[in-house]
Amino acid sequence: MDDLYRSELMEVYKDPAHRGSLHDPSVALAKHNPFCGDHLQLQLQIEAGVIKNARWQGEMCFVSIVGAEFLLEEIIGKSIEQVKKIDQKKLLSLLDLNLSTSRIACATLALKTLQEALEKYDK
Amino acid sequence: MLDSKKIKADFPLFANHPDLIYLDNAATSQKPRSVIEALDNFYKFDNANVHRGVYELSERASDKYEHARVKVDEFIGASIPEEIIFTKGTTESLNLVAQSYGLANLKVGDEVLVADFEHHSNFLPWQQVCKLTGAELKILNSDKSGFINDEEWQKNLNHKTKIVALAHASNVLGTIADVKKIAALVHSVGSVLVVDGAQAMPHLSVNVQDLDCDFYAFSGHKMLGPMGTGVLYAKAKLLENMQPYQLGGGMIESVSIDEVIFAKSPEKFEAGTPNVAGAIALGAAIDYLKAVGLAEIRAHEIVLSEKLLSGLAEIPQVKLLGQAKASERTGLVSFSVEGVHAHDLSDYLAKQKIALRAGFHCAMPLHQRHQCGATLRASYYLYNTLADIDLLLSNLKKAIAFYG
Repeated sequence: MDDLYRSELMEVYKDPAHRGSLHDPSVALAKHNPFCGDHLQLQLQIEAGVIKNARWQGEMCFVSIVGAEFLLEEIIGKSIEQVKKIDQKKLLSLLDLNLSTSRIACATLALKTLQEALEKYDK
Repeated sequence: MLDSKKIKADFPLFANHPDLIYLDNAATSQKPRSVIEALDNFYKFDNANVHRGVYELSERASDKYEHARVKVDEFIGASIPEEIIFTKGTTESLNLVAQSYGLANLKVGDEVLVADFEHHSNFLPWQQVCKLTGAELKILNSDKSGFINDEEWQKNLNHKTKIVALAHASNVLGTIADVKKIAALVHSVGSVLVVDGAQAMPHLSVNVQDLDCDFYAFSGHKMLGPMGTGVLYAKAKLLENMQPYQLGGGMIESVSIDEVIFAKSPEKFEAGTPNVAGAIALGAAIDYLKAVGLAEIRAHEIVLSEKLLSGLAEIPQVKLLGQAKASERTGLVSFSVEGVHAHDLSDYLAKQKIALRAGFHCAMPLHQRHQCGATLRASYYLYNTLADIDLLLSNLKKAIAFYG
């Protein structure tokens, strides 16, 4: 198999460290991937403009799970301003996967949810 | 079984992708050389606009276009070619019925019935027309096998029913509806029956007069024809009273500043320059299907269905969507695999050159009812072989082990 199934990614997929929920999230948002119906719920705990903690829940495919895990690993401990700079290109470079066009929507589901969650938090 | 090796040689795409196992025929079929050449030849030798010029080339294009209409008419057993309207596909055909017949004939208090397994193209046009007219959209729920049973019909069909819109074959469950029986039932309450034939036409021998449906819609591209071709059949007496759905060139008898007299069907419903090359190539697809034999194709795919259904039954994680037997379904099976996402499976299979569909197959209400996420759909046709099904099954098992 190709790099999509690198062993470290399989480990992330089988035992995702950030799956779960937070006791008292500052903001929570759910989003669908209309292509496949995958459903992701993201929770953020924000203190003094910094992402203190983050968790996701949902029934999702391999690529969506890995995308969510890499993203959450990246944002925890960073300021909202820094996190807002993470775009699709940045996330895809972190994942370092050779994704087909149709799977990019899977990889970035968590990112899109994060962006909307931060907008919601700002309001 | 058909000599699939010989048939495959008629499809140039397979020469260009020799390792491809194409199992997404319910989305679109591949095209035989004769269809591709028909498109090519029209533009090389016969290209001119139809119904306009009196010069030889235009007349020849018009003749060939009308000849294609006659071929479709004979293929589906319509009573006259004027009952055949060329569209760009099933979607346009169904929208035409909804916008033209539906809007004019529905009012508050009326009911429209559709099945829970309808493709969005036979669901959304009715949802919209009901919102606009105040008619009520009611859902016929399919049973475990994927059929609308007698009880469900009795519960929902009544004198308020004005339109029943139903897939001849479901694009997810594969189940084939008994349209003839349903037409009699629907007519007994004074309603019309609109049939979405997109998934049935490539697989079944259809005779619209025998079925006695009022409208029958299908696409060319799923039955070896080009994309952007489709047909709406409607009974002549219905077409006579229907208003055009689009306005423009080629569909009038006369126009003044204040008035217009529309042409008769089919021109009335074919505003603008039609897909002439596409219609002619659809005619070539019909010729090809007839040469192979519809009964032979049907028998071939039933064998493939039997093989796939029995193979899937041996994989404990597999859950079928729809329980119809091989003989009760077109050439497709949809299923999910417990614990593995459909997209991950299709990704794995794609890497083995096995092309099939993962998703909701444009039937989200059905998936919601069955409370399942995205499913995998394997759909096959005359060029698929038992070896293709074997490869699918063996790789599916490998994929399940891999993700499990």
